[in-house]
Amino acid sequence: MSESGIDAERRSFNVWALTPSLIVLFAVAVLPAIYLVVTSLTPFQLTTPGSATDFSSPLRNYGLLPGDPRFVNSLLVQAKLSFWSVLFQVLIGMGLALLLNVPSRFVEFARTFFLIPMVLPPIVVAVIWKLIYTPDISPLYYVAQALNFTMPALTSSVDFALTAIVIADTWEWLPFTFLMVLAALQTIPDEYSEAALVDGANKLQIFWYVTLPFITPILVISGMFRLIDSVKAFPLIFLLTSGGPGTVTEVTNYYAYLLAFDTNEIGYSSAVTVVMLLLVCGISLGLVWTGRRREALA
Amino acid sequence: MSEYSGRRATPGRLFAISVTLLILLSPFLWLLQMSFKSNDQILQFPPPLIFTPTLENYVSLWHSAFSASFVNSLASASLSTALALLLGVPAAYALSRWAGRGKHVLSFAILVTRMAPPIAFTIPFFLFYRWIGLLDTITGLVLVYTSFNLPLVIWMMQPFFDTIPVSLEEAALVDGARTRTVFTKIVLPMVTPGIAATAILCFLYAWNDFFFALILTRTNARTAPVAVVNFMNYEGWEWGKIAAGGSLVMAPVLIFSLAVRRYLVSGLTAGAVKG
Repeated sequence: MSESGIDAERRSFNVWALTPSLIVLFAVAVLPAIYLVVTSLTPFQLTTPGSATDFSSPLRNYGLLPGDPRFVNSLLVQAKLSFWSVLFQVLIGMGLALLLNVPSRFVEFARTFFLIPMVLPPIVVAVIWKLIYTPDISPLYYVAQALNFTMPALTSSVDFALTAIVIADTWEWLPFTFLMVLAALQTIPDEYSEAALVDGANKLQIFWYVTLPFITPILVISGMFRLIDSVKAFPLIFLLTSGGPGTVTEVTNYYAYLLAFDTNEIGYSSAVTVVMLLLVCGISLGLVWTGRRREALA
Repeated sequence: MSEYSGRRATPGRLFAISVTLLILLSPFLWLLQMSFKSNDQILQFPPPLIFTPTLENYVSLWHSAFSASFVNSLASASLSTALALLLGVPAAYALSRWAGRGKHVLSFAILVTRMAPPIAFTIPFFLFYRWIGLLDTITGLVLVYTSFNLPLVIWMMQPFFDTIPVSLEEAALVDGARTRTVFTKIVLPMVTPGIAATAILCFLYAWNDFFFALILTRTNARTAPVAVVNFMNYEGWEWGKIAAGGSLVMAPVLIFSLAVRRYLVSGLTAGAVKG
């Protein structure tokens, strides 16, 4: 067989191998996105005939958004939830990684168990925290009772509900930042810290001047991944607070869910979702861009 | 031996690690022990830490509708995994060997599905399924999970194919073998560990899903995660069943993650030796 014959055969194989996947990806990722935008331009309600194709005032839903207090509030709630949980996940994850970054077979074995919260099904994580936050059966309340301390109701209190979600979310995703930082720590050659030690640096100085600069990029990247994913805290909110009390824990994702599948406002919910998608994409592109710029400057 | 004290497994550090692990896992362990308690023991104060474990919660789950939802979860997760591999593995191979712009298009596609909150897909899927009658069917779930696993398969398998030297395949091609034969007889057997790891991750993604199943199923195709939540709403807070259901839902996850974890570690060290 000639050289070009092999090439032609290879090319036809590639087409045969790629086409089905590309068709599926188009059908399940691109088409739904387009359809979402289309429904966002209508006052679509399942119970109102013809509303799915009513394009008479296409931007009506978007015009309503800025004046919708629940929508504005949901963005603020999401910002608070994301900020605190990502901050805690990065800091505690880094602490754990530093603690476990030792050459030991026992520690290597133990690392697997540190990953458990992350791999658990999200709904099981939510069930676990439901147990912890339910007074009659919770170890938290048992301990408080034993210490004669009155534990406030966490998930039904205006002051603590969001904190309760932040704690559960931090617990769930801590292993992710831990794993990322640990991988970065293991690439640092021992020679650097040994040299610093010979020069008389103490542990804190070694951390600040040797370790931290090494792991800063991974701290940023893992924080970025968690930030993008923090809008997916749905099962926790669904099970622990249902967005309440009032709208204290109602993030945009949950609000969009209620609109579409509880109050039947599919058109308006689509508009909320489109805006949320644009925000998430914007934030991730912005982060990628600043990351590149940082690299270019360094 | 390194003199840098920050990198040594001192007894103090091992103790700190053990305590941290116990604190981190205590919420998880609490659910587990609760699943082996009777309802009376669950509500007892102070909680008995030493008790005679009972399997009554698991037995009553076995006889309830929960077992059907467990089968639904198994079916939708394994079928969607098989489909995603069937579509994605050849695509990953083609992409690995054919350096075109398609690589970047697919990289972007997976980025989008990773970034996008599930609600962005559930509204269109819900409307479409309602229209063609796929709501509350295993087929409907399999389609959603396959579509979300496909980019993952392509993404994960590509590096595995990249590590196989092209010269190996060229020899066979020059001998007159067809690309298809080279792919199935030479290349595929070499990436079996990669396929296994990818399959497990796909299975876990589908198995762990709550959101799609919540919206796209009702009773017939209800999956185990949704069934656990239903114990909370309608059966009057039967904590024993909830804990047992939760433990059953997480059992395959724990077993499989352990398998993938071991594989990932060996994969990393293999790369280090080669590099």
